[in-house]
Amino acid sequence: MKSLGFISGIGLCCVIWANTPFPFLMPRGFPPPVYRFQNNPRTKQGFELGRKLFYEGKLSKDGNFPCSSCHQQFAAFATYEHRLSHGFNNQFSFRNAPGLFNLAWEKEMHWDGGIPHIEMQPLAPLLDPHEMAEDLEEVIGRLKKDKSYPELFTRAFGSPGINSQRLLKALAQFTASLVSANAKYDRMKRGELRFDEYEQKGYAIFQQKCGRCHQEPLFTDFSYRNTGLELDSTLPDFGRMRITGRKEDSLKFRVPSLRNVFLTFPYGHDGRFTTISEVLEHYNSGIIQSATLDSSLKAGIPISANDRFYLISFLATLTDSNFIKNPLYSDPRLHGGFALPVEDSH
Amino acid sequence: MIKTFNAARRQTYTGIAGQVKNVIKTFLIFLMTSSFHNAGPIAHAELNIRFVAYVHGVPLELNKKYNNPFGETFEISRFRFYVSRIAPVYTDSNVRFRERSVYHLIDFSDSASTRLSLPVASGLCNGVRFLLGVDSLDQVGGAQTGALDPARGMYWTWNSGFQSFKIEGYSPASNQPAHIIAYHIGGYRHPFSTVWKIRINTTDDIAFRLTDENNISVEVPIELDYFFDGQTPLHIREISSCTTTGELAWKISENFVGSFNGLTLSRNP
Repeated sequence: MKSLGFISGIGLCCVIWANTPFPFLMPRGFPPPVYRFQNNPRTKQGFELGRKLFYEGKLSKDGNFPCSSCHQQFAAFATYEHRLSHGFNNQFSFRNAPGLFNLAWEKEMHWDGGIPHIEMQPLAPLLDPHEMAEDLEEVIGRLKKDKSYPELFTRAFGSPGINSQRLLKALAQFTASLVSANAKYDRMKRGELRFDEYEQKGYAIFQQKCGRCHQEPLFTDFSYRNTGLELDSTLPDFGRMRITGRKEDSLKFRVPSLRNVFLTFPYGHDGRFTTISEVLEHYNSGIIQSATLDSSLKAGIPISANDRFYLISFLATLTDSNFIKNPLYSDPRLHGGFALPVEDSH
Repeated sequence: MIKTFNAARRQTYTGIAGQVKNVIKTFLIFLMTSSFHNAGPIAHAELNIRFVAYVHGVPLELNKKYNNPFGETFEISRFRFYVSRIAPVYTDSNVRFRERSVYHLIDFSDSASTRLSLPVASGLCNGVRFLLGVDSLDQVGGAQTGALDPARGMYWTWNSGFQSFKIEGYSPASNQPAHIIAYHIGGYRHPFSTVWKIRINTTDDIAFRLTDENNISVEVPIELDYFFDGQTPLHIREISSCTTTGELAWKISENFVGSFNGLTLSRNP
């Protein structure tokens, strides 16, 4: 009798496990997200599958380049200390890998906004011959033959079958869940602590000199702007114009979020700046004039040595150490099972 | 045995430039300006539709050599395009049926994909309309299956979007490696959208009645002569490849639209 109860207990667990809703909790003060898991309701099974796939080498041609090879959690999912990332056959990526967080708020992905939907984003690195260099049919075939994936897809989607849509939706369950909203800045905003004098001064300077483009609370306005960078002849990149074909978009790149900015160096679409100081000095004295230069940068942004010190103090408050240590987002082989959602604790 | 109602099919392609105007007259082509409604009355009839590509009035065979109107030899190895929202044009111009947003990938290497049967409302008709390409809403609709599965080879990944059509092959006139020709035509953003609403009337506006007997087939001919000798003359030696969005892609898509000729009707056995 006892064992019968035990067995039916397992059965009940399985039913619950088969499709456990996993509500997406909005950080306080954030605007409504663009991606609300429409047609892809977030479940624990879907999220866990996406997480496993994100760390899965089998998604790349030679097995060495999972998503996580260029998007490392300890670097807020950018590539730590690399101007460009490494891909298949000793090749470099075309641009600096951005950090991955708060993607649910992004209408378009990439430095040039070429990708209009988070679910379609993984196709770019997956099929790029310089990056994961894979073929979609190959990957699907490999996952179908795998020991564990058929079962995991069935659990996540309620019926057997692996196709590109399910692969992409599962990955989006994970990537859209990467929320960074627990930095010192956020805790200050929630009234849990106060900035010190330097941070406070830096915040005021930031709001005056940087906040128009790097708008709070996401620290970007998602626009494309020419910030006066010289064209690199070894890597000619005209940014947004590559997508729209319009001359007026030449040399425009997406305003990156400054959340976790201390972790996501080097900076710029091609990673040309190693330190935050260099970036600030660029705005102070290095702007290259051109036809499409952002109107607000025609005279540069005067940033004194004092301003720089305070600004850097403020920017350090945007580092979200909870985010980079959250076991929910880490490699499931290192943190097996289902972790507690730390980001939802506040 | 299929009996052709309308024997007006041209057997030669002489005087193409002069005929382009007439052909254009039979089309009412308009860019994405108004949206289709989702009207869904009870279907009583079936619209059988078949896409056939022609070169000089002869059905195209893949991997076979032809000459274009400029005397350039070419062969086509891949030829695919998206259509959706297919509907008959009723002569009283009241819309009775519009297919919902289901996409069809017409692929000439798979003859089954070139024939479609759709439930429609019965009535007197003199044309069909459809959307060429994938509209902007579905371009940004997230991961999809079926015709819009990115594994079907019609999706661009870094400048994301579904191509409207793809014509690939070889020509000695091409200056590309291995003499490849590649027209991968896409882009859905203003002003270079390659997504078109197309309406094709029957040749000479002959009306046909769709009834529950389902005995009419309409053939949508694609005259590749007009693809090359169109609004923008497409000389292979000058334009052997177009694989990005922009003005050239838009112009080539305009040529493709111009290659849809008047409908011909057949009565099913």
